[in-house]
Amino acid sequence: MDFLAEGLRRAVHLISSADPEVYGIALLTVKVAVVATVIACALGMPLGFVLASRRFWGRRAALTVVNTALAFPTVVVGLLLYALLSRRGPLGGLGWLYTWQAIVIGDVILAFPIAAALSAAAVQGVDPRIRRTAETLGAGTWRTAWAVAREARFALAAVITAAFGQVVAEVGAAMIVGGNIRGATRTLTTAVALYTAQGDFGLALALGLILLVMALVVNVALQVLQGRGNA
Amino acid sequence: MLELAGVRHAYEGRVVLDLERFAVPPGALIAIVGHNGSGKSTLLRLLALVERPSTGEIRWGDAVVSSPRVRPRAAARRRITLVEQRPVLFRGTVRANLGFGLKIRGRRGAEAEKTVAAVAERLGITGLLDRRRHELSDGEVQRVAVARALAVAPDVLLLDEPVSSADRAAAQALYGALADERRARGLAICLASHQLEDAYRWADDIRALAEGRLSPVTPENLFRVELPPGQEEETKHVRVGPIAIAVTTGREGPAILAVPPTDIFVSKEPLVSSARNVFTGQVTRLGRPRPGVVHVAADVGVELIAVITEEAARDLALAPGSPVTFAFKASAVRVF
Repeated sequence: MDFLAEGLRRAVHLISSADPEVYGIALLTVKVAVVATVIACALGMPLGFVLASRRFWGRRAALTVVNTALAFPTVVVGLLLYALLSRRGPLGGLGWLYTWQAIVIGDVILAFPIAAALSAAAVQGVDPRIRRTAETLGAGTWRTAWAVAREARFALAAVITAAFGQVVAEVGAAMIVGGNIRGATRTLTTAVALYTAQGDFGLALALGLILLVMALVVNVALQVLQGRGNA
Repeated sequence: MLELAGVRHAYEGRVVLDLERFAVPPGALIAIVGHNGSGKSTLLRLLALVERPSTGEIRWGDAVVSSPRVRPRAAARRRITLVEQRPVLFRGTVRANLGFGLKIRGRRGAEAEKTVAAVAERLGITGLLDRRRHELSDGEVQRVAVARALAVAPDVLLLDEPVSSADRAAAQALYGALADERRARGLAICLASHQLEDAYRWADDIRALAEGRLSPVTPENLFRVELPPGQEEETKHVRVGPIAIAVTTGREGPAILAVPPTDIFVSKEPLVSSARNVFTGQVTRLGRPRPGVVHVAADVGVELIAVITEEAARDLALAPGSPVTFAFKASAVRVF
């Protein structure tokens, strides 16, 4: 048990002494997570709205695909993306393999189905009379969607949290397409995996703690938002 | 003018509305009456353009607004509003709800505030303006929803059971406010109600729906029955509750029987006559929807309503509880 206590002591020291490597990794993780969450939600949430509120041919099949994609293994996404971005792949010319942008693409692919499926569920949970009432008061498509989104705003905030949680905790795709390069593509999760394998338990624990704090901050922010908006 | 033409509407293959024509002329005050499930709410949702009919057309003036083309429908929707039977308010204050439609029309600031205050005053909800939906009773929600619809000054206001959660006084206040609104600016109102008394009191034009079709008679004395077999035009005796009504028809199977109130002879005692239907009972209530006209409701096993003149009612000295006989011919009974 001594190594655990020792690891924890080292973790506290690394965090409190503002270790540049630890904070560098944390900042890259935040950057990747925020960019990927914004893109995934910007694409996935409108799709979720359409799937929940429009009746069209193939809607049920589209919902099934999106729901199935929720369980997409991260390493498989990494593998496929690697094949696309590698020098011999169709997108090899972009030169994005082993860059943070590659990690963002992998994360977007993984978070997009979460944003789409959960926002579809959130919109389906809104009383259908809200949509009808907005329409009968003259609202067009966007205004009606806005009225529905306002009713579902807590559920939609939870969708963003879930997408962020997926992105920030993802390790498989980030490892494969990012390459875990020190100072360039090393994120909190890939670093934890690496330092644990190397036996640097204190550093791994410090990074793990930062990851937990990030998750906590996002959830507390959501709860504060819900508390304010309850009226 | 808002108009449905050749509309058939079905949910999962079941036809719930089948109307050759249904028009709401400018400035009309129409009551749609009928039993639960007769298609009233579906009709209002089609008129409000929030559903598209399975077949047929909806026209607003010269434009067909039931087609998938969004623009004409959106333009018409700005002139037609619907208040549903159980209306829902948006998150936020009553004031914000009343301003919702105005904001959509680009009216904000002091002008919108003035409109909101004026409509709130007319509907008697000024005291509720800063409340939120969870602080309101069902009746108050209904009044706020009507005010929200009136705030946008529609040409056609559709109301589905607008006083279902209101007490008598609140209902009268609401109908009074609607009448004032109509006088002020020629608004057409189409309201669905199962309360015939309200319909007669407030509407100029009463249309009855039964099983999704416009009934050829006014909506009193409608009975859902199973006609005995036999496709020959003959007199059949059909059980309606504890009584049997004689009807001349060539139809069989499920049908609606309608006894036109104006075809019922009212007397103190049974008369010897050609009428095949003679029922005795007691007067349950008397109504006077218009000067000179009296509605006599009697319990003769089932409730039947007859329409007679004021003079006849006076001669018969009818009062609630007094014995009465209703008689009508088998051929007077409508089957559809």
